[in-house]
Amino acid sequence: MARQKTDVLRGTLALLVLKVLASRGALHGYALTALIQQASSNLLRVEEGSLYPALHRMEQEGWIRGRWGKTDTNREARFYGITAAGKRQLATEEQQWEQLTDGVARVLRFA
Amino acid sequence: MAWYNRLFNLLRSGRLSRELDREMEFHLAERTDDLVRAGMSRDAAALEAARRFGNRTIQKEHTHDVDVIVWLESAAADVRYALRAIRASPGFALVVILSLALGIGANTAIFSLINAVVLQALPVKDPQQLLDITTGNDNSRQGESHGNLSNPIFTYPIWEQIRDGVGKDVFSGVFAYADSRVDLSEGGLVRYANGSWVSGDFFSTLGVLPSPGGGRLLQRSDDRPGCAPVAVVSDGFAQRELGGAQSAVGRSISLDGHPFDVVGVVAPSFFGMQVGRAVDVYVPLCTQPIFFGPDVLQSRSRWYLTIVGRPVPGLSEAQVQAALAAHSPGVFAATLPTNWRAADQDDYLKMTLGARPAAGGLSDLRDRYEHALYMLMVVVGVVLVISCANIANLLMARAAARQREIAVRLAIGSSRGRLVRQLLTESLLLSLIGAGAGLLFARWASRLLVHYLSTGSGSVISLDLGIDARVLAFTIGVSVMTGILFGIAPAWRAVRVDPQEAIKSGGRGVVHGEGRQRMGKSLVVGQVALSLLLVTAAALLLGSFRKLTTMDPGFRSDGVLLAQIDFGNSGYDDARLLDAQNELLRRARELPGVRSASTSMITPIGGMSWNDALVVPGFTPGGMLDALAFFNQVSDGYFATLGTDLVAGRDLVPADQGRAIPVAVVNEAMARHFFHEVNPIGRTFSVQRGDSTGPAMEIVGVVRDAKYQKLTEENQPIVYLPFGAGSDPEKYVNLELRSDGSLAALSGGVKELITSMNPAISFDLKTLQAQVSASLTRPRLLATLSGFFGALALLLAVIGLYGTLSYGVARRRNEIGIRLALGAGRERVMRMVVSEAGRLVLLGTVAGLILAFATTRFVASFLYGLDAADPVMLAGSACVLGGVAMAAALLPAWRASRLDPVEALRDE
Repeated sequence: MARQKTDVLRGTLALLVLKVLASRGALHGYALTALIQQASSNLLRVEEGSLYPALHRMEQEGWIRGRWGKTDTNREARFYGITAAGKRQLATEEQQWEQLTDGVARVLRFA
Repeated sequence: MAWYNRLFNLLRSGRLSRELDREMEFHLAERTDDLVRAGMSRDAAALEAARRFGNRTIQKEHTHDVDVIVWLESAAADVRYALRAIRASPGFALVVILSLALGIGANTAIFSLINAVVLQALPVKDPQQLLDITTGNDNSRQGESHGNLSNPIFTYPIWEQIRDGVGKDVFSGVFAYADSRVDLSEGGLVRYANGSWVSGDFFSTLGVLPSPGGGRLLQRSDDRPGCAPVAVVSDGFAQRELGGAQSAVGRSISLDGHPFDVVGVVAPSFFGMQVGRAVDVYVPLCTQPIFFGPDVLQSRSRWYLTIVGRPVPGLSEAQVQAALAAHSPGVFAATLPTNWRAADQDDYLKMTLGARPAAGGLSDLRDRYEHALYMLMVVVGVVLVISCANIANLLMARAAARQREIAVRLAIGSSRGRLVRQLLTESLLLSLIGAGAGLLFARWASRLLVHYLSTGSGSVISLDLGIDARVLAFTIGVSVMTGILFGIAPAWRAVRVDPQEAIKSGGRGVVHGEGRQRMGKSLVVGQVALSLLLVTAAALLLGSFRKLTTMDPGFRSDGVLLAQIDFGNSGYDDARLLDAQNELLRRARELPGVRSASTSMITPIGGMSWNDALVVPGFTPGGMLDALAFFNQVSDGYFATLGTDLVAGRDLVPADQGRAIPVAVVNEAMARHFFHEVNPIGRTFSVQRGDSTGPAMEIVGVVRDAKYQKLTEENQPIVYLPFGAGSDPEKYVNLELRSDGSLAALSGGVKELITSMNPAISFDLKTLQAQVSASLTRPRLLATLSGFFGALALLLAVIGLYGTLSYGVARRRNEIGIRLALGAGRERVMRMVVSEAGRLVLLGTVAGLILAFATTRFVASFLYGLDAADPVMLAGSACVLGGVAMAAALLPAWRASRLDPVEALRDE
């Protein structure tokens, strides 16, 4: 499917979410979507609906924790914050990601 | 994600789904607002927001269900993989499944017996409500007791008081019953059936219904003084004896020679109040006088009734107890046996009524076998654990063979947890298949055990051994635990490989290293320890059974035929009864092959007993029990027939039957206890009768001690009175015949003789040996089974040791080859292997002895003549185990010493 090209790479969504939550504190899903797009200068696009299954799974893994709260617009929203386990996971995934990109970059340079 | 989270998600998926809806709703609203701010119309903005969001339903499914489905799919894949692995090595699978089938089957068989005997509630309406009435102080019962003394039993007058008094207040229904054997024959050889006398509200209180088309059950109007002889029969009895439930109603049956009309058939599910004893015939309590004489219901010293009630709704057990206790003084004052000694009357008045739950009914079988079954449960459990160790060893060897595969899978990114799960699936599958086969084996084995108990004890034991939910849950639980027990260690060990190492070293795995050896060795030590425990238990139980069968009971049981004769319907009046009995004895002595014959009231180890307190001049009893002696009435020739030697004085003679001064023969224990070793010939004693004493009796002879009720008892003081010396001639008489020839041929002669004398007399024939043997059913069963399982445990442990040693030798082929090449002697290599085995066996034996010391006291109550910590037995068991184990070690050791160094080194 052509559309997938602009989608966030499979498996990296968790990394992005953890990174954003680690630097910005608790956020709701809509803000997360917006922030990821904004931070990537609109290069990366999260299919908006697919964020929620991912958030749910990460919560089950114990990386993030969700709580119901009120937004500035006075709407009920679920705010997600990173946990200690999430921070450890983030470190691992960041390292893996760097290794991967580093490796891929070398191959592209010297192949 | 943990499986329980997934399961939990399934359960709470409703709430989860609502939460997600709210969350997604919020997202769409925010997006729409943003788009509107950017200049879109609200409708267009809502559409665009939904488009960007994607398919909501699919997203929701992704959130929870997918996890479960993925999980189920991977579980299914694991099962497929496991099945493939099992098919790939059918020999291995067969060995594992068979040993598990036997192990789990044995556990299930014993458990289904425990379930039927101990755990199951009576098949009646709301059995957990039923309460059994108890007395606080059971020592105050005097007079005749019929029934199991561990159960509280009452007299008819007490029952009347409870029925018409306190019982009306606290119970919505209350009934009394008494179980007894009844004879269906009308003269000739007896045919016993299980009878039950029940009060009017028996069936209505229990909520038991008649069989469809099977008439009516007994009701209150059937249970009145002077009632009609009616009976209700069980469904099984109706099928067996009366051609089915429909045709049974209206038929007449003979119970101990008295005709009863069958008015109904009980629904098939109800077997009576005693687990293991299916009642065939129920008759109203008021028919007791038909069997036992007109005054029986008025007797205040005849204890035979069990009383059970269903409390009024809303009343707790404690409230019932309080009410019963409060009414006790009145109940006992109204039923006081006025002919008792003053002190005993005081004790009687102090009794208190109580209540306890009776959901499982009251059962002799349970009293006798509950603890034996628990012990067997432990034994078969230990056997299963020992065989688990062997299977674990086998699995480890197999994991070693599969190591390359596992290493490759680890290398391409499979997680260790996932692999452990896959290997565990395989062990669980094996143990579940084993359990399935085990269930079939258990059905057969538990039936065999019940059959054994029935034939051994001479009474039919009927148990519901169907596989109910509890048995099924037990079996599944045991098999899952078994699967994990033997699977977890090998699986854990298998995945702890370094993929690089494993792939590099080719087929020769690294798990082949010390780790597996160490685990194999510790398993062997554990197996040796546990099997020593079982071998010791078996040695103790077999040893005590041997003592029971080889002990001198004071009589010779071989070559003696017993005839239990009931003159109740013979038609002889009291004056002629004794003459008829003497006549029978005279003619029995003339039968061909009879060396000697006698008559008596009681036969040894026959279950009947008669005791009374003695008054002996010069003897002051230390208490009521101290003055008790057992009694029997015997004719001349009794001691010669039974083989009990006369040690002083003379035997009883026919002329003693009507002597003015009664005479008696006593045993040595009686002489020792009451006359302190002094020759008692010519001395007198009398029997306590209430507050007075009976006539003085003179001792004319002393015989050797003989067992009276049980082989296991201490020798009791026994008084033998002349047969027929009592005021009323006995209606139940035993005839003993000693013969040098065949007892089977002799029984034909006895049958003919009795029938020709009077066809209305009913009688039962058995050998004294069979009667003694029946009393040994439980020790024999325990000795047989523990011996079997002890041997099995020993075998399993030896197989484990052999396997581990053989494997060790195979692994050290190189090393041994080098040693041999460098000039090590063959006996030195052998010594090396044997000493390793010796170390394992020694460790296991020490552990096993500690275990045995700590636990054998639990079998102490099943032992006779042996201490549970008997040093000879413990040391003997350890030696047997050590000997067998070392013999098993010799083969691998010998093989190691025969290694050809050239071959062994070339392999490398």
